[in-house]
Amino acid sequence: MDSIRSAFENDPDMIDIVREFAAAFPERMASLETCLAEGDLPKLQSLAHQLKGAGGGYGFPQITEAAGSLEKVVKEGAELSVIKEKLELLCEILRAVVVPEAD
Amino acid sequence: MNTELPNPNRVLVIDDEESIHKLIAARLRPEGIAVTGELDGVRGIARAISESPDLILLDIGLPNLDGFQVCRKLKEHPATRNIPIIFLTGETTMEAKVRGLDMGAVDYVTKPFEQAELRARVRAGLRTKRLQDILERQSFLDGLTGLWNRPYLDQRLESELNVAQRYGRPLGLMMADIDHFKIVNDTYGHLFGDIVLQGVAEELRGYARRSDIVARYGGEEFALLLTDTPLSAGTFVAERLRTSVENRHFEVHGKIVTVTTSFGLACTENIAGEVTPDALIHAADRALFASKDAGRNCVHLCDGTEIVRVTGNESSLYIE
Repeated sequence: MDSIRSAFENDPDMIDIVREFAAAFPERMASLETCLAEGDLPKLQSLAHQLKGAGGGYGFPQITEAAGSLEKVVKEGAELSVIKEKLELLCEILRAVVVPEAD
Repeated sequence: MNTELPNPNRVLVIDDEESIHKLIAARLRPEGIAVTGELDGVRGIARAISESPDLILLDIGLPNLDGFQVCRKLKEHPATRNIPIIFLTGETTMEAKVRGLDMGAVDYVTKPFEQAELRARVRAGLRTKRLQDILERQSFLDGLTGLWNRPYLDQRLESELNVAQRYGRPLGLMMADIDHFKIVNDTYGHLFGDIVLQGVAEELRGYARRSDIVARYGGEEFALLLTDTPLSAGTFVAERLRTSVENRHFEVHGKIVTVTTSFGLACTENIAGEVTPDALIHAADRALFASKDAGRNCVHLCDGTEIVRVTGNESSLYIE
């Protein structure tokens, strides 16, 4: 997957919090995967919902889209394999995010 | 005395996602808007009550209380009822929007939001708040004198008393009543009576500090709430006011007319028994009655159970 960059990486109002947002991705992925492993679907749905709401605001519409798909399949009570697939897609996107280093 | 309205610019975000707080703060800060945040409804409500923000951005999917429940509680509480609420949420269904707006929210924005849109909607919400502030202030002002009215004084007396007690500071209350006002009205007419009320109000306003509350308490009676002021300092203010009212010239049909005022002072430090708003008013009233009894145009204070004459002129009425 090509690297993903924030639409706001050149916005001085935003760059610091974009960096902070991206720095927390590993932690978010771990939480998402723990929820799936433990079968805590309500929590998984809520975490996906939060990423859906925040992603676009930080200049990552791809995150909003993938997190939205994940939230949707969990909400619909889809098969675990489907949920797992959507989760992996989301994590792949999160891993592809590149943020310029702080000066 | 300060009746100016500050520009509304404080926004409270209630959202369980901290990155949303930071995002909103970054987007609104360039507009001169200060953002604070809480992660759940219970804390959000508590903060709204204690800080009375100018606008609340409210998520729906929250732990403990959901956004609709938070909205209902905020609309029920007298301290938060008039704060505009904008739902900011990932719930995009028409039903949720209708429900939110019908519960009293002024607007509904879906996440993820476009920054320009959020800013514009927040600006619109703050304009609503400004109008509400103006309406509220109007309802607390006395139309004739431009001073605060009695309902406002009652409200502020209660809150200033809380502050004074919390910080162990003295809170003074001065009551002033124009002497023989009925005679002034009967002799020169009500329009002239109004001019006298406005003149006395102007003297009071002139002596009040920014933190003091000057109110028309009723008819020809005025109240001055003196923050952080012990009896000694209050007496000084009362005596200066008494002489400046006495020396003010009112003109009617080419004639100079003067009026006098009687004063009663009380202070939270000198109240016998429990210090309540009623006890403070009662003490100042007793001192005021003593001034009337003593021939008017003088100042009395209430010290514990005792009423003490402070100063005053011997003659009380100069209607030529």
